[in-house]
Amino acid sequence: MKKNIAVLMGGRSLEREFSIKSGERISNALRKLGHNVIKMDIDEHIVDNLTSGRIDLAYIALHGKDGEDGTIQEILEVLNIPYTGPGVYPNVLSFDKIISKQILMSHKIPTPPFYFLNTSSFRELGSSKLLPFIIEKIGLPMVVKPSAQGSALGIKIVNNKESLPEAIIYALSYSKKVILEKFIDGVELAVSIIGKDRPRTLPIVEIVPKKKFFDFESRANIDQTDYFVPARLSPAEEKKVKETAIAVHNALKCNILSRVDIILDKKDKIPYVLELNTSPGMTDTSLLPMAAEEAGMSFEELVDEIIRMSL
Amino acid sequence: MTKKITFDYWKHLYSKRTRYMASSEIRDLLSLSARPDIISFSGGLPEVRALSFERLEKYIRRIIKTDGAISLQYSGSDVYYPLKTRLIEVMKLEGVDAVEEDIITTTGSQHALDLLSKIFINPGDTIITEAPSYTGALNAFNSYEAKIIGIPVDRYGIDVSILEEKLKELRKKKVTVKFIYLVPNFSNPSGVTLSLKRRKIVLELAKKYNTVILEDNPYGMLRFEGSPIPTIKELDSRGDNRNVIYLCTLSKLLAPGLRVGWIVAPHPILERIILGVQSTILCVSILSQRIAYEYFSDPTWQENIERFKDIYERRRDAMLKSLEDNFPRGAEWSKPDGGFFIWLKLPEFLNTREILADSIRNKVAFVPGTGFYADSSGLSEARLAYCTEDTDRIEKGIRILAGIIKEKIKLYKSFK
Repeated sequence: MKKNIAVLMGGRSLEREFSIKSGERISNALRKLGHNVIKMDIDEHIVDNLTSGRIDLAYIALHGKDGEDGTIQEILEVLNIPYTGPGVYPNVLSFDKIISKQILMSHKIPTPPFYFLNTSSFRELGSSKLLPFIIEKIGLPMVVKPSAQGSALGIKIVNNKESLPEAIIYALSYSKKVILEKFIDGVELAVSIIGKDRPRTLPIVEIVPKKKFFDFESRANIDQTDYFVPARLSPAEEKKVKETAIAVHNALKCNILSRVDIILDKKDKIPYVLELNTSPGMTDTSLLPMAAEEAGMSFEELVDEIIRMSL
Repeated sequence: MTKKITFDYWKHLYSKRTRYMASSEIRDLLSLSARPDIISFSGGLPEVRALSFERLEKYIRRIIKTDGAISLQYSGSDVYYPLKTRLIEVMKLEGVDAVEEDIITTTGSQHALDLLSKIFINPGDTIITEAPSYTGALNAFNSYEAKIIGIPVDRYGIDVSILEEKLKELRKKKVTVKFIYLVPNFSNPSGVTLSLKRRKIVLELAKKYNTVILEDNPYGMLRFEGSPIPTIKELDSRGDNRNVIYLCTLSKLLAPGLRVGWIVAPHPILERIILGVQSTILCVSILSQRIAYEYFSDPTWQENIERFKDIYERRRDAMLKSLEDNFPRGAEWSKPDGGFFIWLKLPEFLNTREILADSIRNKVAFVPGTGFYADSSGLSEARLAYCTEDTDRIEKGIRILAGIIKEKIKLYKSFK
């Protein structure tokens, strides 16, 4: 049945461009599926826009701030408008990597060992003096990243202690808190999950950046990364990775869809969870549609399933 | 069965030069600056709202009524002829003496830069620019795979002694310098104006080393302080008049949306450029050229320029005062006598790309320095455009930016 679907895209986050690409592609698919599409940017008029006409469903094509931190979900809850993707709580939990990593640890789900520090602790509590201790505990190389940011913005790998301050200052440009995380040498994997009550995994995508690390440039420029689907894993490894991803999805109380980013340690084959995304990219080069296609779902079928589950 | 995903089946067909066209973090961050809630010091956007839209409407109606069929048709690749007479009058105000045969119009100055790159640059050829230099020019030169040598700029413009040393060194190595690209008036991005003394020296050097100067002058008429300095083109025309290719644009005198610029060059060069125009765009929009003709035929156009200057001067003053009042010690900035831009230099330990991420989150945008250097240096530098925002927003934006920089300095010092 034809529905009035608001595609929420753009927004105020640093991932605005990605969001617009995702939103445009989703809008086209929804039109092909016969729905009435109302594209909406997120600004001070959003409440007026959402209440000015009948909206049957809000498709959240936002990435980062507002779209993946629970803000837009809470607005939609107040307005009683159904929306795609996980609810307020899982968004709040997963957007802050510190909180979500703590939850994973409490569920005994492996995630790389880490410490976090915030801007004021450096400025006012002399936390820079902690760095030698952290290096001793975590070792080098180390991944330095903002606590709340997507698309690999603000992330650096640090190989020596001299470059640690620079990487911390860089990460703190994107977030008030910085995570110092053990670097896991392994295979980067993305596990997309869809399903309302019984979440199921889609084929795992293996990411092989031509640089050492899957950074922003590797994500944004398609020729800088190779992707393999399904990932080149043994059946046992695949099973373990998929089980881990579902465990993360459940631990963070997700429903409808999510994408779990994992590194499978080269040596001990432990699948370390890096993060969970509640609004995975839906562009031509995004991982969720890539996995869906491998599972035999066209982009329109994927979008259709997401909206059916969300209505 | 595992398969490698192919997003782009045609990778094997692309030219090598497309490797210079990658997406960058800075570009993505700056895409946010178009939002109205962002105070933007990023783009050099002229204040077109200051134009009389009523008059423009009158011009366009007249053109369509009297000349519609011609204005909407293809034209020759050369300029719409009556406009040449007007452009000659416009350039005369800046001391540039030209005749109709010396001029060709282009689809904005960026098209001129592309055409000139096309006719001069083979892959690996050497050209010289100011450092920092206009990003659009660097992109055009890079796309033709030029080797770009940047010569530092101080408060009087390009450093002529370093330029001379470099030219000497290159001659010794038998390297031909295809051209020297300069924005001598209120340069983009530095805001600096090349002194008369240095203009003369640069011209002498071009003659001595047998090369040409691309004199890009989009901002020359937007001087709101000090006395005009002769263009290098004017200086050249006092002699043999063959070493300067002069570029100008309507973008700052009227409106960038029209996409009209023009080139004044020695005739043999012009002939090559015309061939270049034919092979790329056939002809420049005749409608845009007709609008430009109407605009410059109306004596009120100079009043518009005065209005523009008044607006930009107030905005420059607001930004300079706000920088003075709020920025921490150790920061330096240029004090332009006209144009659109102020160049900011922060202490070397600060990285303006990082500051941009923070700044965008706090709703202020500017352009980090690295994009203005061919070698991606300029990490602690930035371009601030004062032309776009009104004075209140300029003051607010600079206050926010100053706060972020002070916080960064504190954070940096916490590691010492």
